[in-house]
Amino acid sequence: MRPYMLRTALFAGLLVALPFTPARPGGSLARAAEEQPAAVSVNIDNFVFTPKEITVAKGTTVTWVNHDDVPHTVVNPDKKFKSKALDTDDKFSFTFTDSGTYAYFCSIHPMMTGKVIVK
Amino acid sequence: MNPFDIKNALLAKHAQHVVLIHFPIALFIIGVLFDFIAQWTRQGRMAVAAYYNLFVAALATVPAVITGILAWQFALDGQRLKGILLLHLVMGCASTVLIWIVWLIHWKTQREQGAESPTYRLPIEVVAVAIVALTGHLGGFLTGVNIPS
Repeated sequence: MRPYMLRTALFAGLLVALPFTPARPGGSLARAAEEQPAAVSVNIDNFVFTPKEITVAKGTTVTWVNHDDVPHTVVNPDKKFKSKALDTDDKFSFTFTDSGTYAYFCSIHPMMTGKVIVK
Repeated sequence: MNPFDIKNALLAKHAQHVVLIHFPIALFIIGVLFDFIAQWTRQGRMAVAAYYNLFVAALATVPAVITGILAWQFALDGQRLKGILLLHLVMGCASTVLIWIVWLIHWKTQREQGAESPTYRLPIEVVAVAIVALTGHLGGFLTGVNIPS
């Protein structure tokens, strides 16, 4: 077989095989990114949870970040989650695996309330 | 919470400390003020008023300390404290000890008929008032009373 024929045959074979390639690194990463639930952040500023109410998909990890100079906590009255006292810039994360509505408040300042709706 | 919901207000587990703490603070500061006036003006009646204010202030520290420790247990599950919370706890204990020391000095004087209160009590009282005020300031900071509305 002549060299140019060999190259042509190899190129043609490659073209035919390409769609059946089981793993495409770029594609699988893109899919994984699509499937991965987004991480959501709730800020604590001036004794307020911001946003006060969020709606997330199942499996989403919500992270609360305390930007106040005063310690705060994140507590669910049904005891599904409870943070320690968060000092300035401390974080607390919780992954919501079940759908439902999760109310929470700061146990040091009970007037601070928020809600996570998981769909 | 409805402000007229007496049951919920009285049973709010963590909230009693915030209410009760005002009694020892106010009684102690006014007691010290009366004592300074008594020292300055040599008025026996003012010294007696100071004595009783300091006595009730010392008594009022007991429920204040108990409810403070309970608030720590209820709100934070007794977790190891740090930062402002720890400072508030330490200074609260120091304030309590100083209030009792001041009252004991006055009590000892009262027991000895005709004896004059020792003058070394005055700087102790000034330091105690400063620490009580700082503890109260930290407590107010923790409750968020200073936040802009």
